[in-house]
Amino acid sequence: MKGKRLVWLLVGLAAVAALAFIPGARKESFAVAGEFNLEPIVKLPKLGPFDLSINKAVIYLWLATAIIVVVAIVISRSLEVKPSRFQYAVEALYELARDGIVGSVMKSGKATWFPYVGAVFVFVLVNNLIGLLPLPFGEHHQPSFYAATANLFVTVTLALFTFVFTHYAGIRKNGALRYVKNWAPPTAPPVLKQIIFVIHVVSEVFRLISLSVRLFANMLAGHAILGVFFAMALIFQSYLAAAMLQGGSVLIYLFEIFVAVIQAFIFAILSAVYIGGALDQDH
Amino acid sequence: MNDAAAKLLGAGLAMGLGAIGPGVGLGILIGKALEAIARQPEVSGDVRTNMFIGIGVTEAVALYAFVVALILIFVA
Repeated sequence: MKGKRLVWLLVGLAAVAALAFIPGARKESFAVAGEFNLEPIVKLPKLGPFDLSINKAVIYLWLATAIIVVVAIVISRSLEVKPSRFQYAVEALYELARDGIVGSVMKSGKATWFPYVGAVFVFVLVNNLIGLLPLPFGEHHQPSFYAATANLFVTVTLALFTFVFTHYAGIRKNGALRYVKNWAPPTAPPVLKQIIFVIHVVSEVFRLISLSVRLFANMLAGHAILGVFFAMALIFQSYLAAAMLQGGSVLIYLFEIFVAVIQAFIFAILSAVYIGGALDQDH
Repeated sequence: MNDAAAKLLGAGLAMGLGAIGPGVGLGILIGKALEAIARQPEVSGDVRTNMFIGIGVTEAVALYAFVVALILIFVA
């Protein structure tokens, strides 16, 4: 048994060493930054300042929506007491959103806000994960990677939903005046109160920025690193380097799957934290 | 040094220096969380949830540096 393994190891090493003697591939240029350009696929007329053309990001968003809708319909039509594997996976996701995200950070309003937080979690998760599938939307319909969440406009829109819902929830529960008053602790001295109030307003705006930029930058950085790993084989012009880099890119790929899940989780849990904080103002 | 070189140098420095703080912070954060879980395994669920919130907030600092680097290369 041990001898066999050694033989395979030697064969593998010999194959890798042999790669070094093959002359380099023909020169091809590849710009990683170009992968994130959005060229309109279907050109549509402009509506005021908004360009309604359909591009890669729009198709990825539609694809994610279609996947979620189809899975939700199929699962809800065929619910069984003894779950199949597929149903069990969807139930685990639901349970994670209900107990792990909403249940663990919100005190009141769990039933009201679970649909929003759960939907945002699943939407971001599916968007992040289909970003790792090579789909034929690159230049000349070559397979390429793109995630709709690696686009700042998409993430800002998602963050704006959370931002608006946070203040809507706070105002509806506490009343507009009391909600704004509670931004500074009522027991603080007047001068300090004003400073704290200003700091709180600034932090509300920064929540919006950090929530959107975190998701955007994470997905963009992940795709850029994957693109660089693939492109480096072209830069080094050697099959040995290419083989090693492909091995490395598999590891990066695994890490990116982890990042995609974690970022969806963080986006949803921070949305729940912000909405929960507006509902139960502790100071 | 011409403008393009200065931009690239600035982008590299922004990313490299910006990664130091969050790196140290994440190390401390996750280390402390693991310590807490090792001491009281029964609260591991709560600790893990809060750890992920902390990770999200800490890591955002490094990503701001990444965005600044991108702006330096492609926009500025």
